[in-house]
Parts: sequence; structure tokens; C-alpha cells
Amino acid sequence: MSDTIQFEPKIIAYVCNWCTYLGADLAGTARLEYPPNVRIVKLPCTGRIDFNLIIKAFEVGADAIIVSGCHPGDCHYTSGNYHARRRWILFRELLNLLGFDLDRIHFAWISAAEGKKFQQVVTEVTEKTRKMGPYSELYAAGSAHLLPQPPHAPSPLETFSGESKLRSEARRLLIEGDVKAVIGYGERGPVIITHPEDAERLVWNNRCTANLAMYLKRKEVKALGKAAIVVKACDERALVVLEKESQLLRENLHVIGMACEGLESPKCVACTSRTPRFADQIIGEAADLIPSQESSPNKLDALMQLPRAQRMAYWVEEFSRCVKCYACRQVCPLCYCERCLVDKNRPITIDPAASTKGNFAWHITRALHLAGRCVGCGACAKACPVGIDLGLMNLQLAKAAKEHFGGYQAGVDLSAELLIGSFAKQDKEEFIK
Amino acid sequence: MSETITETKLKHLAAEWIVAGTPVISPVAIKGRFLYMPLLSAEALAFSPETRPANSIKEFFFPKAETLYSYRVQGSSIELSEPSEFAGQQIILGARPCDAAALPILDHVFNWDSVDDFYNRRRTATTIVTIACTKSDDACFCTSVGLGPSATNGSDAMLLEISTGRYEVRCITEKGRQLFAGVTEPGTEPGHVTDAPPRKFDSEKVRAFAETHFEDTFWADHGRTCVGCGACAFTCPTCHCFDIVDAGPSAGSARVRTWDSCQSSQFTQHASGHNPRNSQPARQRQRVLHKFATYPEKFDAILCTGCGNCVRNCPVGLGVLSILTEI
Repeated sequence: MSDTIQFEPKIIAYVCNWCTYLGADLAGTARLEYPPNVRIVKLPCTGRIDFNLIIKAFEVGADAIIVSGCHPGDCHYTSGNYHARRRWILFRELLNLLGFDLDRIHFAWISAAEGKKFQQVVTEVTEKTRKMGPYSELYAAGSAHLLPQPPHAPSPLETFSGESKLRSEARRLLIEGDVKAVIGYGERGPVIITHPEDAERLVWNNRCTANLAMYLKRKEVKALGKAAIVVKACDERALVVLEKESQLLRENLHVIGMACEGLESPKCVACTSRTPRFADQIIGEAADLIPSQESSPNKLDALMQLPRAQRMAYWVEEFSRCVKCYACRQVCPLCYCERCLVDKNRPITIDPAASTKGNFAWHITRALHLAGRCVGCGACAKACPVGIDLGLMNLQLAKAAKEHFGGYQAGVDLSAELLIGSFAKQDKEEFIK
Repeated sequence: MSETITETKLKHLAAEWIVAGTPVISPVAIKGRFLYMPLLSAEALAFSPETRPANSIKEFFFPKAETLYSYRVQGSSIELSEPSEFAGQQIILGARPCDAAALPILDHVFNWDSVDDFYNRRRTATTIVTIACTKSDDACFCTSVGLGPSATNGSDAMLLEISTGRYEVRCITEKGRQLFAGVTEPGTEPGHVTDAPPRKFDSEKVRAFAETHFEDTFWADHGRTCVGCGACAFTCPTCHCFDIVDAGPSAGSARVRTWDSCQSSQFTQHASGHNPRNSQPARQRQRVLHKFATYPEKFDAILCTGCGNCVRNCPVGLGVLSILTEI
């Protein structure tokens, strides 16, 4: 045996049942030769290719991945591939942020008649991967790199003018009886009051930063009956998304909108709206918006400027602290699944242990399930007891949604279709062969 | 007459230990907070100026993910193998008394009906040097559970600040004496400690209340805003519940013990779909009951050291304190 064993890349191809698989079949019956490095996994539709499968393939040692299905317009299920394409666009942006090697993930449209194209794609990918060598960069740690930290100084408590009005309105609503509970802010954190005399516990000050929409998904809160909720303009975006996703009945909720004076830095420095638009009533007076001067250091840009391997090393370090307490999920107003994917164990999709792989899989899943939905309230990052930069992933995806899909912002436009769950034929696809 | 040591000397010692291959665990500054982490270099050694780190030292005895064994399936046979990592010597430097005090409490539960080798091995191999508190904050309540800012339970040695950069060394166990043998200097001034934080509740009263008010609207009123994450349990020095999961082939085909929290709705979920603790207030009640009634009944110790981590880390401002002070 020679000393050097030539590297043979392992390639996983996730293909759709109706086009690419038949294309591969055709390549076979036509006796077209292609490298034996590819292992084909057949799925019903590209729309059914979960991104976790792609991550998992890398984890078990794949050096490159091919994802392929019917050409746009040819989907056996009419639009599965259009939906898939939209998700891939966002998925690639997230993987790029996390430092994955995008040159190892190949997307292609291959029809049942394109045995030749299948042969071509597999050959090209194999040759390219052979040149690149094994994917040893995956989850590789490196030297810790520091990103600019926005200065954080707790500001002194400042009570706003709307507080007494808020209390009297909450009392009135509970006395009138239509509203059974008021979800608001208390001295130490959120409070849910059910008795008019408890209205005195409500506060409105610069510590009211939580997004209370997180309580709307909770069984204990739903059981109370019609609720009134205190929201700021930024929190309100979560209500818009929840309503559009059929998670709440607007007539079953009384929205108390607080005109906001801006609560904290740096988040409120970049504020674009201070008065809720869809509230049943507005309390308080909004301060004027001061255009953001972009003074706070931009972490996302700083991270994206690092070389790919350093980006991955950064996240390896960040995720190593994760204890999987799921505070990020629990405080998110839009993480409302009754049983989260990570809690399912038949089969286990995400390694439930707080290991490197388990943590990457969890954070990728969380971020992608919020792609095009996250309203940027920042509750996840704030709740994290070990200070993981969760917001960066959400921010990257929000930025990608804005750039690729005509300025889309979740929860801003009531008439806009939801980004995920809809598609446009002109969604760009330069990265798909 | 007392023994003293300077911070420079401590850094020097830590550097020696690290070079010798002994992990040194200490509070490390990460993004505006402190966390107990293995020191990469002695220069990072910082005795937290904050009240205390946001996590606890329990993960160095009872890791957040511990491989119990690995398996390989070949045809119809299954091959099992022991975890390769053996718990070697480690030194914890600058832990808070409320962290160290958790260890004698955890010893009960890991040596009760079955003896937990994984925990015990690490426990034997670890030397714990605590540092007496010079500050306390609103969340601290060690005095309410019978401890204090210089409680020595669980410590092998304790440092008490004399002045900036100088500490009195009090060796408590043989391990502690060995660690500091020949490296301290004699001194006369004693180290100082912060005033004990005021007692915030009476643990006996909590126990009596919990036992007699199992079905009470109190729990619904105080547990309703809990969002059911594990931030309190996972940063608590004494919470020790775990789950055992099979990590599939992509995670190395292993049976792994992971932390679990009674605040998660899945914690008591039966396969039938029935859930005996079916609401968040019931889960909050469970946490209080376990710490202040069930555990004391069984082991005659409160399952809480008053560190206040649950209060500081709770994303919605709860933590056991807010409930206990209302009782």
C-alpha cells in the first residue's frame, strides 16, 4: 500500500423523487459514467428537504452536498421547488454568517430528461471537491476573536408620563369585564393581572423592554380568557406576524399601545416607529424620532469581514457556552410550536445534548425557523444567561430578507404576504445550476 | 498569625498549574458578565468584581453533557465502550462560597441509592479555592438559607481580601493545605468580608407553607409569568436533574446525560400524553417544594445556597426569591 492514500470525496445528493432521481436513473440506463463518490438520498420533493439534513450530512463526514429537484415550473406538487428556493436563499446567508463553506453546497435543477446534466453536475462537484480536500474546517475552533461591544451602562430608572393613565385604563377594562386579564409590565418584570385592584402593580418606565407578546402563546394565559396586552410599536410587529400566521384572533385581544419615548441603547437608537399603529387605544406621548447616527459599533459587519474559518471559530466559541436552557425559545413571541423539533425524540433530529454538534444544530434551526418572521425584538439575546450573540443570526436573516425580497420586513406591512409560505417566480437563483 | 498570598503570586501559581496540565477554572469576563470557565492563560484570572458569575461551578462535576458510554451496532451485535475521557485533577480558583456550599448538598443526591462514579471521580479530583464575598446585591440571599459571605462548606481553602491584591489564605481541608503548602507568607492582618446580606425570608416558614398550601391560588398568581425556560435551573449551583438521551450516529453514537429542568413542560410528560404537572404554576411550585420541603425532608439540607442566580438570570424577573418573599 502506498503511503499516501488519495483523497476520495464523499458527496451526498438530496434529490427529488420526480425529476432528479429519474434523471439519475436515465444516466444509468443510458450508461453514462459518473464518479462513484455520490450517495443519493431520494426525497418526495425539494420542498421537503429539511436544512437539518444538509447539516447532518456534513456532520457524518460528507465533503460536499448536492441538492437537486425539478426545474421551476415543473414541480410535481406545483410549487414545492419555488418554496424550497426561497428557503435556500436565506439558508445560504445564515450558513455564510456561521462560516460554513458555501462552495461545498451545490444546488441544481435537473429534470427527468437530463441524465446528461446529472452526470455533468456529479462529475464537476466531485472534481471540485477533490481539489478542495476533506471538509476539516467544520466546527473547527480557532483563536478567539473579539467583536466590537456596544457600551452598556444601565440607565437610571425613569418613569414615563403614561403610567397613571395605563393603570386607570387597565382597571377600567377589568371592571367592565370584557377583558379578563391584562398582560403588562411590573416592577420586577412582566405581570399578568386579573383583578382591577392589581392595576396599581403596572408600571411604564424605561425598564419595560420585554416583548410581552411571548405570553400570547402560553396555555395558562389563553385559559384566562380575553386578554389586554401592553405593547410598544416594536413589539406590535410580533402581533402582526402572529395574526397573519393564524395564531391569534385580533377580536379576542385588546391591544393597549404605548407611545414610546425610547427605552434603551443601542436598540432604541435605531427605532423607526414609536407609536403603535394597530392598537385599540394609545396611551402616552411619543418622543420625536432622532435619526440614527450609526454610532454604535456594527457587530454583524465586523463579523462578516472576518475570513470564513474565523467566523466559524467565533461561533464554535459562542455555542460552546450554550447550556440548552432554551430561554431564547421560550421568550420568543414567534416560537410557538407546541412541541419544538428539538424536543422530539422519535426520531431525534437535533442532538439534544449541549455538544458542539447539538448546539450548532439547535441554533441553526432556531434562526432558520425565524427567517423572514423575526421582528428583531432582541428578547432571545437578552434572555441568554451565557451571553451568546443570538441576535446576529436573526439580524443576518432579516437583512437577507430585506435585500433579496424587495425590502421585506416581518410584521410591518399588514397586506404583505408572509415571506416563508409564499414565493415569487422571479426569486433570484444565480447560485442554482 | 495568618497566612497571606498576593494576587501576583496566585497568577504565578495558576500559570504553573496550567503549564503542568491541570485545568484551572476561574471567573472569566465574557461580554460584560463573568462566567466560570477553564482559564486559557493565568493572565485572564480575574476575581470577579461583580457579585458573582452568571453560571455555577456544578458543570465541572456534573457536566452539561456527559457521555456515559458509546455503542456500535454491527449486524445483530452491539459493542459498548467506556467514555475515553477520564476526569483528571482540576483546580477551581476564586469560586464563591455559595457555589462551593452546593457540593456537600449535591454529594447526598449522587451517593444516595446508587453511587455516581462520574460525579465522585470529579469531586475527588478537584480542589476548590473560594473567595469570600466583599460585595452583595439585591439578589443575594445566602443568609436566608443558613449560609453567609464567608461560609466554608465545600471549600478546600478560602481567600479573604486584606487589601487590593492581597489575600488571607484559610486552608480548610488537607487538599487545601497541600495546594498552598510553602507558597504563603505569614501576616497579621485578617481578611475582611462584606456585611451579611439581610435575611429575606424564613426557610422554615416556606417549608410549612409549601406543605400546607399545595392547592392554593398563590402558585397561579406567582407562577403565571414564568415562561418555562431552564435559565434558573441551569445556572443554579444545586439543581441536578438530568435526562439521558441517545445521541445518534452523527453525534458519535453515545448515551449522554444532559441537564434537564423541571420548568420544561416535557419534564413530566408521560408517553400516554398525560402530564401530571400540566401548568407553569404547578412547575414553579415543584421547584420551591423540592428545594425547601422535599429535599430537606430526605437529606436534612436545603437545596439552595442563596446565590441569587435564578433571580439575576430569569428573563422575566422571577427566580425563587420573588416567590419566597411573598410567602
